[in-house]
Amino acid sequence: MAISAASEERVAAIRNGMWYGLLLALTVWFALIPAFGGNLPFFFYLMLWVTMASAFNIISGFTGYMPFGYVAFYGIGAFTTAILTKKLGVPVYFSLPIAGLAGVALSLLFAKTLKLNGIYFAITSLALAIIVRLVITNMPEEITGGSFGISLGSRAEPVKSFYVMLGTMLAALLTVTWLARSRLGMALKAIRDDSEAAEAMGINVPRARLKAWMMSAFFPSMCGGIEAWYTNVVDTGTAFDVLITAKTIIYAMAGGLGTVTGPVLGAVIMVWLDDLFWQRFPLLNLFLLGTAIVLLIQFMPRGIVGSLMQRWPKLRRYIM
Amino acid sequence: MLKVEGLSKRFGGLVAVDDLSFEVPRKTVLGLIGINGSGKSTVMNCISGLYRSDSGRVTLGGKDITRKTSHDIARHGLGRTFQVPRLFHRMTLVENLLTTVLDSRRKNAELVEQAEAILDSVELHGLRHDHGEELSGGQQKLLELARVMMFDPDMILLDEPFAGVNPSLCRLLIERIQALLGEGKTFLLISHDLTSIYRLSDHIVVLNQGRKIAEGGVEDIKNDPQVIEAYLGTEAYDG
Repeated sequence: MAISAASEERVAAIRNGMWYGLLLALTVWFALIPAFGGNLPFFFYLMLWVTMASAFNIISGFTGYMPFGYVAFYGIGAFTTAILTKKLGVPVYFSLPIAGLAGVALSLLFAKTLKLNGIYFAITSLALAIIVRLVITNMPEEITGGSFGISLGSRAEPVKSFYVMLGTMLAALLTVTWLARSRLGMALKAIRDDSEAAEAMGINVPRARLKAWMMSAFFPSMCGGIEAWYTNVVDTGTAFDVLITAKTIIYAMAGGLGTVTGPVLGAVIMVWLDDLFWQRFPLLNLFLLGTAIVLLIQFMPRGIVGSLMQRWPKLRRYIM
Repeated sequence: MLKVEGLSKRFGGLVAVDDLSFEVPRKTVLGLIGINGSGKSTVMNCISGLYRSDSGRVTLGGKDITRKTSHDIARHGLGRTFQVPRLFHRMTLVENLLTTVLDSRRKNAELVEQAEAILDSVELHGLRHDHGEELSGGQQKLLELARVMMFDPDMILLDEPFAGVNPSLCRLLIERIQALLGEGKTFLLISHDLTSIYRLSDHIVVLNQGRKIAEGGVEDIKNDPQVIEAYLGTEAYDG
C-alpha cells in the first residue's frame, strides 16, 4: 500500500504539472496577443467559448443535467451589464461581477427545475430561457431598449475587455480544476451516475446540485456581460440566441464532458475548425462544420478526451 | 436496532407491502425471503427512504426515520446495496468508495488508503483505477459491499447480494458479511439463494404478496407448510 501511495503521489504530481503548465503557457500566450497585434476577435471568442464550455461542464459533465436554455444566463448577464453601464452609469468593472451575480440569482429562481431529470429538465430549461427573453423584450424601452436593444455608445474597450475575458476564463478553469479534485466534485459525479444511489450513500443531492447549478450560471453571465462590453451593443436576438446554447453544448461534448481538459480542447478545436472552414470554404462552412460534428459524435461519443481515456484507461490517471 | 411496524405501500391498485411488522435486533441477521414480486425489495426501499411508505413506522436505533429523506437515513447509520448493482459507473473503484465518506474530517490520503485496503479485502485492489462499468456482474456486487464497508453503517440492508455471482465470489461475499457481523454490524438480507440465507440468518421473515406469512428461526421456516407451499406450490406440499 505504501508503494501504491508513493506511486499515486508521483502520478498526481505529473498530472498537476502538465495541467498547470498548460494553463500558464495559455495565459502568457493570450496575454501577449494584443501587444503583438494578434487576431483579437478570434482569440476573444476562443476564450469566451472555452469559458462557456467549461462552465457548462460543471452542470452537465459533472452533474448530469442538460440545460437547453443555458443561454438565459448569458443573456441576463449581457443585459445587466448594458443596463447598469449605459442607463445607470455604473463603471463596467462593477457591472460585470453584478452581471455574474444576476445569473446566479436567475439560477436560484430556476432551482426548482433541478428536481426534473433528463429531457424534462432540458425542455423546461429551454422554455424558461424563452420566457426570460420575452420578459426582457417586453420590458419598457427606456430600460432594455425594446427589440432594438441597447448600444453602449463610446464605452467599448476591446483590449481591456480582452484581458477581462482572459481573467474570467482563468477563473472558470481554476474553478473547474478545484471542483474536479474536491469532495463536492466527487458528490456531483456520483449524482450524475446515479442520484438515488448517491442519496443512499448519504450525499445531500439537492444541496450539491444547487451549488453546481449556481457555479455554472455565474460564468456565462460574466461572458454575456464582457461580450456586450466588447461589441458595444446588446439586443435580445443575439443575447438570447439558441445557437449560444447549441455551440456551448457541442464544444463541451466534442472535447469530453466530465473532464477538465475536454471542454477546453473541444472549444479550441471547434472554434479553430469553424474559423478555418469560414475562411477557406465560405459557401460550405456550415456543411463542413456539421459533418465534422456528426463524425465526432459518431466515432467519439464521449468526446475526444473521454474517448481517448476509454480506449486507453491508463490515461485517466494523467489527464485532468 | 431496526423496527418496522405496520408498513404498507401501494402502487396504484397494487398492494406491494401490506401491514408488515418485524424487528431486527442489534448484531443479528434477519433474512427476508419470498418469491418474485412478494414485496421484498419494496420493503427495503421503504426502509431506506427511496420510496415513501403509505402507512407504518420505521425506527432505527430508537429514532423514527419514517419520513426522513434517503440521505438523512443514511446519515443515521443505514447503508444498503441494490438488487441490480447501482454503482457510479464512470468513477473509479476508489472513487466509488470515497463517495460514502465525503463528510469525513479525515484527510483524503487516509481515506484513500482505507478505500484501497477495503478493495484489497474483497480482492478488487488490482482494479482500483478501473471504472465501475468495467466490472463483471459479480465484481459489481463485491464493489457494492465494499462501498457499504467504507460507509461503515451500523445497519446494513443487502438486496440479493448473491444473485448472478459465481460460487467462489459468493464464498468471498459470505466471508465478508460474516466478518462484518463479527464487527457488530446488523443485517437485513434479501436473497433467493435459500442456502445462503439459512447459513447467515438468525431469524427469517417470509413474504407472499406483500404479507408476512411466516416468521421464525431457520429450522422453523424450513419446515413451515405455508413457506413450502408459497415456494413450491400446493402439490409439493401435499406430496
